[in-house]
Amino acid sequence: MPDFLLVLPLLILGIGIFVALALSRSGWTASRMGGLLLFFPLAAFGVTLYAFSLAPEGKALTFSLPWVPSLGLNFSLYLDGLSALFALLITGIGTLIVLYAGQYFGDDSSAWRFLTYILLFMLAMLGLVLAGDLITLFLFWEATSISSFLLIAYKYKDEAARKGAFKSLFITGGGGIAMLAGFVFIMSISGGADFKTIFASGDLLRNSPLYPVFFTLVIIGAFTKSAQFPAHIWLPEAMSAPTPASAFLHSATMVKAGIYLLARLNPAIGNTDLWFWVLSIFGVTTMLVGAYLGFKQNDLKPLLAYSTVSQLGVLVALIGQDTEIAFKALVISILAHALYKSALFMSAGIIDHETGTRDIRKLGGLRKQMPIMFGIISIAALSMAGLPPLFGFLAKETLLASATHPSLPAIVDLLFPLTTVLAGAFILAQAALLVRGVFLGAPADEKHPPHGHDPKIWFWLAPGIPAVLSLLIGITPVEPVFLVDFLAAAAKAAYGAKVKVSLALWTGINVPLILSMIAITLGALILWQRGRIRTWMMNLLPNFTLNTLFNGTVSGLDSLAETATKLQRGQMRFYLRVMILSMVAIVLLFSRIPLTMFTQNLHWDIEGLNGLRAFSLVMIVMASLASLVIRRDLHAVIALGVSGLGVAIWMALDPSPDVALVQIVVDILSTIILILSLNILPRKQRNKANELLHSRRGMTRDILVAGLAGLVMAAITFTALNTRPRDSVVAPYYAENSKPLTGAKDIVGAIVVDFRAADTMIEIMVFAMAGLGIYTVLHFASRKAGEHSQAEKTKLNAEHTPLGIHGLPTSPLLHLLAYITLPLALMLGVTHMMYGHDMPGDGFTAGVVISLGIAMWYIIFGYEETRRKLPWLNRVTLIASGLTLSLLNAIGGAIFAGGVAAPVDYGAMFGLPLPPGFGLTNSFIFEVAIALTVTGTATLILDNLGRPRDEEKEAFEELASIKEQA
Amino acid sequence: MNILTSLAVGILFAAGIYQILRRNVIRAAIGLVLISNAVNLFLFSTGAYNGQAAAYSTATAQISDPLPQALVLTAIVISMGGFAFVLSLLYVISTRYKTSDSDEVKGLKN
Repeated sequence: MPDFLLVLPLLILGIGIFVALALSRSGWTASRMGGLLLFFPLAAFGVTLYAFSLAPEGKALTFSLPWVPSLGLNFSLYLDGLSALFALLITGIGTLIVLYAGQYFGDDSSAWRFLTYILLFMLAMLGLVLAGDLITLFLFWEATSISSFLLIAYKYKDEAARKGAFKSLFITGGGGIAMLAGFVFIMSISGGADFKTIFASGDLLRNSPLYPVFFTLVIIGAFTKSAQFPAHIWLPEAMSAPTPASAFLHSATMVKAGIYLLARLNPAIGNTDLWFWVLSIFGVTTMLVGAYLGFKQNDLKPLLAYSTVSQLGVLVALIGQDTEIAFKALVISILAHALYKSALFMSAGIIDHETGTRDIRKLGGLRKQMPIMFGIISIAALSMAGLPPLFGFLAKETLLASATHPSLPAIVDLLFPLTTVLAGAFILAQAALLVRGVFLGAPADEKHPPHGHDPKIWFWLAPGIPAVLSLLIGITPVEPVFLVDFLAAAAKAAYGAKVKVSLALWTGINVPLILSMIAITLGALILWQRGRIRTWMMNLLPNFTLNTLFNGTVSGLDSLAETATKLQRGQMRFYLRVMILSMVAIVLLFSRIPLTMFTQNLHWDIEGLNGLRAFSLVMIVMASLASLVIRRDLHAVIALGVSGLGVAIWMALDPSPDVALVQIVVDILSTIILILSLNILPRKQRNKANELLHSRRGMTRDILVAGLAGLVMAAITFTALNTRPRDSVVAPYYAENSKPLTGAKDIVGAIVVDFRAADTMIEIMVFAMAGLGIYTVLHFASRKAGEHSQAEKTKLNAEHTPLGIHGLPTSPLLHLLAYITLPLALMLGVTHMMYGHDMPGDGFTAGVVISLGIAMWYIIFGYEETRRKLPWLNRVTLIASGLTLSLLNAIGGAIFAGGVAAPVDYGAMFGLPLPPGFGLTNSFIFEVAIALTVTGTATLILDNLGRPRDEEKEAFEELASIKEQA
Repeated sequence: MNILTSLAVGILFAAGIYQILRRNVIRAAIGLVLISNAVNLFLFSTGAYNGQAAAYSTATAQISDPLPQALVLTAIVISMGGFAFVLSLLYVISTRYKTSDSDEVKGLKN
């Protein structure tokens, strides 16, 4: 059962969110809602503590739920000392924050929104620290980015809040994406996403050649989240969030996520030189930058925010060191910082709430008016300053001990203690400034002294508890064993080995103590000379900010997006050009065709070049070029047909009669369909479009694009033909087996209807679907355009004058031709089907030949007349019977020959008297099926594309009026 | 031979690309046929050997590779089906946008 306990805190917070949402319409005041909702994080705190107490010594509790098993993804949770430390801080301080937020918003009944966001954020944060694998961690990580966005932008009418929220989302979200990429590397190297696997493959990860890559990516994620220099710029601006949110985000949660990640992964990817140096350099820099910037502030919240930045730098630098003492310092610092910083933030909010300002230039002398707050802030500030007997002193002592640890590299021997002392002095000065500026002395602004009084107990209790804890842990004469054990467990999880933790304040006179004294003295000096130092700092580095860089990046991205959008201008030809040029670019970049391939093979071998070949080449080239330059569409279409015939001749010369035959008939049929379709586009429209055809600039550009594409295509063909393997395994197999296995002399025919029968079956289905697709498209288009009402159709039917495709009367001689051709085409088609197995031609040819005969009727008699005269021509029946027949034939093969579409000779089986050279085989039946389907589909196409449109109807009406006049 | 085939394929392809870049949509349809001819010719030429005789089991000379032929045979018919479908789309363009000029088809945006 302890496993399930891990999910429980998350579930409790989830329920809390729903309760908060449900309260949205209750009209409750914020303080009342806060009073109720605080029990959810409190319960989560209790359950986490209980679950952790159940965990066996030194072992982690895990919970796993399959999520996407095929990808090896699980939703898993993990609770060890480190997660427990963070989880308890989150829920513990979370409880106080909810209480505090309720009091902060007071009577505001719309604050349910804020409380919901806070709980949402808390859930995300808790999930992050409880996550048991990298993917779950990443999900919650992003959830914290988004929910903190909501919190920071809570006062969304305020532009500063929106900007600050965007900035934090942009920086932390971007870091999160880098981190995900790093996680993917780690997962693929260690072979799993869960922490157990990752910890077990620590050496593998550290020795991987990709270590610098995923290290950098993960570090980017952690540093952006934990506001390390130079990504620290989002944190002060996030101060535009309401104070309860700032207190929560910046004391115990959001900014600690990066620290948690680094500490969590330290056993797996830490303890390398790169790790040490990167973390140390960035940590120390951040520490100094934060301390320095914080000292410049007058507003309480940014002051605290920068001291947080400084503290985060310390934590990062500590994780970088691979010493026991560093991890002891880490856990103590995390706890100490969370306690005093949350107390200070919440107190700053109370000061703001009661006096109406947070600016120390307007505060001062509040000692007597707000004695309780004075006490709370003083305790917390002393802890922050690192003065005895507070918990913060202990944190600083261990920190200094770790900075002077002999195992550190010699170069940092002096640097680490020095910077730590310097930053400590600045932080001390900040803390003193805070207390002095708000409470001591006289009001800074004599004319407008601040007014305020201590709030109700529930309000000051929230900062009071952590402040008192800071004091208690420091002064308690007996070491609290459970706390020591707890911190030791957390440090052990991060360090990877046992860490001894003690909470004794007095450890004798030693180096850390001396350094501590120096820091305190220095801090006092800074405080004393603060006016001078501040002016000096302002002058020295007036514009020490990275916001310019951030703003530049953002506006750069904006304009990039704008450019990308401009590419999508809704002009199809432009898209085509982009696609074609991209194709050309891809081929040129990645094909890696060696140039020698061309130089070696580029000789005009005239082998195989005869008169006919030359003729067909000239035909292809001339006709396709002619189709480009000819202005009239009809003539261009005919030129296209000629070019297709040239291709057919080329194919026939190879020699391959079957393909050439199909190419010929299909080419003719395509040309006819195209000619018929010319009239679906009104001539006026086409002429208009054609007039635009010859703008010189566009032409040059298109010729360039087309020429480039043609060159690349020719190069591909040339390479393919020169490098193709010259021995085929498949071809000899077909050549040897076509006669014995299928009884076919025509190997190509055998492949089409026997060897690859299933393929062919699917292909005729595709063809039929194309026909049905045309029917559907035109049907819906006509219905939308409101054409072809039924009444009109009957009227047209009554007209018996045969009219050709363009609505013009055709001559009787042509009628006779049509009458003769169709039966001939049918006969030819049947012959193809019967003898296609031994001769050129097959079902496809047969179908297209028959369709050609029918097409002729459409041209000569027009749509209506053809429909009337050929009632047997039911395209749907033809397609259906063709497809059914092909299926039955395949099943027949399965029944009689033991394999789907296996060869069966039904003629021989039933002893039918058949003419010589013709066998009633399954191949023949399949050919018939193909022919039926192709005929049906081609008819369907002709039917739909050759149907009379507006222009034709006009012609009809014109003709009718002429008749009437006569 | 290879150079001639490459030439034929390249020119057919270039002509097809040029046509589909025209504003008149019927020209684009013509371009499509040219391109499919180019591709079919290309596939057709990739047989393992250039034969002396047609691919019949009775042939005495070296036969041409039957496999690409069989593939191209069906491909030719299918490309006709696809091409006819494109023509029906042209009709939709013409009725819905009252134009044959692809630049005036503005429905692609928004």
